[in-house]
Amino acid sequence: MRELPGKGDDVRREYISQQQRQHGRKVLAVLPIHYPKELLTAMNLLAVELWGPPGKPRGPDAGRIQTYVCAVVRNALAFLASGGADVVDGVLFPHTCDSIQGLATQAPDFGGWGKQVFRFLHPKGDDRPSSRTFIRRELEVLAVELERLTHAPLEPEALGRAIDLHREIHALRARLVDRRRCLPVDDLALYTALRRGEFLWPSDHLGELREAAAVLDDTTAQQGTPVMITGLVPEPMTIFSALDEAGAFVVADDYAAVGRRIVRDYPKSAADPLDTLVDLQFAGPPCSTRTIAQQRRIDVLEQTFDRSGAAGLIIHMIKFCEPELFDVPLIRRRFEAKGVPVLYLESELERELAGQTVTRVEAFVEMLRPVQIQIGSVT
Amino acid sequence: MISRRVQYEVAGRVTGPILMALQNYQQQRRRRRRSPKDNPFGPPIQCARKMKDLMSIYYYQGRWADGAVPVAWITSGFPVELLRAFGFYSVYPENHGALCAARHMMPELAAVAEDAGYSRDLCAYARTDLGSVLSGNTPLGRIPKPDLVAACSNICQTVLYWFRSIADHLGVPFFVLDTPFVYGDFKQHHLDYVSDQLLELSDVASRISGRIVTEEELLEVNLRAMEGSRLWGECLDISRTCPSPWSSFDHFYHMAPIVTLRGTEACNAYYRELKDELDDRVAKGIGGIKDERHRLLWDNIAIWPKMRDLSRLFATHGFCFVTATYTNAWRESLPFWDPKDWLRSSAKMLSNTILNRDLKNRLRVMTGLIEDFECDGVVLHSDRSCKPYSVGQYDLKGALTRELGVKVAVIEADHADPREYADEQVETRLLAFMESFE
Repeated sequence: MRELPGKGDDVRREYISQQQRQHGRKVLAVLPIHYPKELLTAMNLLAVELWGPPGKPRGPDAGRIQTYVCAVVRNALAFLASGGADVVDGVLFPHTCDSIQGLATQAPDFGGWGKQVFRFLHPKGDDRPSSRTFIRRELEVLAVELERLTHAPLEPEALGRAIDLHREIHALRARLVDRRRCLPVDDLALYTALRRGEFLWPSDHLGELREAAAVLDDTTAQQGTPVMITGLVPEPMTIFSALDEAGAFVVADDYAAVGRRIVRDYPKSAADPLDTLVDLQFAGPPCSTRTIAQQRRIDVLEQTFDRSGAAGLIIHMIKFCEPELFDVPLIRRRFEAKGVPVLYLESELERELAGQTVTRVEAFVEMLRPVQIQIGSVT
Repeated sequence: MISRRVQYEVAGRVTGPILMALQNYQQQRRRRRRSPKDNPFGPPIQCARKMKDLMSIYYYQGRWADGAVPVAWITSGFPVELLRAFGFYSVYPENHGALCAARHMMPELAAVAEDAGYSRDLCAYARTDLGSVLSGNTPLGRIPKPDLVAACSNICQTVLYWFRSIADHLGVPFFVLDTPFVYGDFKQHHLDYVSDQLLELSDVASRISGRIVTEEELLEVNLRAMEGSRLWGECLDISRTCPSPWSSFDHFYHMAPIVTLRGTEACNAYYRELKDELDDRVAKGIGGIKDERHRLLWDNIAIWPKMRDLSRLFATHGFCFVTATYTNAWRESLPFWDPKDWLRSSAKMLSNTILNRDLKNRLRVMTGLIEDFECDGVVLHSDRSCKPYSVGQYDLKGALTRELGVKVAVIEADHADPREYADEQVETRLLAFMESFE
């Protein structure tokens, strides 16, 4: 099995300083999930996503938030307050959920973050004329606010180039995920490569994706039991090792951090690049945090599942994640009605998968084998 | 349709009031036979019975609403005024959740939702209400089916996910009124966005109801709603006197009309009468509790299943809650109302709720309430079910103690789920808090 490039656990800090030194780039820590990355790229801002980080909180400030709030938010406060993100120049808080909304006032207003703060409020609900007008204004205002960091205005040409760059990234990410069966690497390697996009400068990420796509091979097929996975974020990443050891691999992805951010129908470039960014807000796969109609999300999940030939569905939740948890009953109902085996896993952003969970994964994959033979998806 | 409308009107104007009168007569006879109990409270508020009648008739009439008038299930922060102008009957799943909790039906209903896959980590109102939708079980007898499910994000985003689930389950249209969270000052494009959505909502309401409403009609309902909020605010402000003629536990009970019937003359008439009674109690020196020695501020939603126990515990020790951030929410936006520009001022009012603004604003509101109502202590209810209300409370506790020198206690509980409430633990915490005042 070939290795994908650039693995490693703690490369972020070094990479950030290199970006600052060599390219004079300012760096923004960005909380989950949806934000206008093209805009940041156009303004020469490096986005480094902050999903926690996983593991135990890095400091006592997690205790300022109740334990019934998700670990992504508690860990983020501890991380910011303990100086874990001191290397960055500001933090961007997208309007993802009630807890991140709260963190976006708690950290800057009551201690934990003293540098610059930016917020991005994307519209909730379905695509309506009001939401389009709003998101355009919100993007314009964000661009003006970001000038506090960059000391240079947003150039439409730069935005156009950034859009083209990200279009290619989306296309390559989609290719890697959608043609998973032809990619001769294990899930851990694939997800490590995809998730490096959470902190790499887009052209660096694109380079790595090209290398990864170069190993796609139509003549070989991934061995094992194919499963589809949905959830917030693939943490702990050892879930992929557990699947691999059990003889399964992820053939379709709906993680909010990964697959749900891949825009397959990327909008065509408009005369005004900001219009393209507006279209982009509504072009991605349905996400619970955007509060679009629930049926639409489940329909897309089902279509993805059917296309992929997966033998089962794993719902991998982070405890207390309200937007995601409200969709779980409907997802279960729809898939169980189709006769699809469903495994529900819940974690709290630990570094390792609990032994008990590993056993459940093994049992689930074991149970899927006859299903896999029945639906004729043995590869 | 016509016969249904007749049933609906008869239920609201004839059958409902007769049934209530009959029930009151029976209750009075039972009460006369009972010997008076020694308790730490002042004499009961006489208006309470009227409020019970008002709400009971409203819910009773609702049994015949679907098919008679358009029905909307909406959130407590939703602009009901606008829907009312189009003739909608409104149902409040949050109030329903609170009612179920107060009547101790929550665990049974939540179990239905939990069996259906809804996590126990989700809001207890949502689980209770979804359990009711799935089972058809409700203390109201029957809830009319909606023609529209609509949620406003100005209280939380949870309602968006919860109401979306209801709309999906019932197969009815879902409307989101998105009020961008306010960090610092209002932003003009945020307010424009809310105004635009109000116009979109008018179109949706018009399509569903088949009615066209003039701006004058909209203004008329809004004026009534603002009058209701003003009267509610005046009733709350009477608690500035010492002793306070009613406590926040009473406020929680009497807030039902301002939430549910806002924009109706019945709501305004009720609060006029209540205000008269409270003024009378002040003149006679009657307190909500018999021996008011300390005055407190309550933060967060009430703990509905434990209202009686908690009110007795505090009253017994001479502690009276005189104000609450929660009940204050239905009057706090009034200063933004401008009858000359209902659209834009409505947008600002909807965006200004305490839960739609940052923690600095929350601290400012709490500080104002503590000073205005002369509170010497604060109880923060860390509510497992309500993350937007609870995130940041430990920082608020520190700031209030530091800046105002008031005593502050945090209790861990839940607004509706009694399974998340430990009697001994909460009581021990509160007794220690009250002892610290000696």
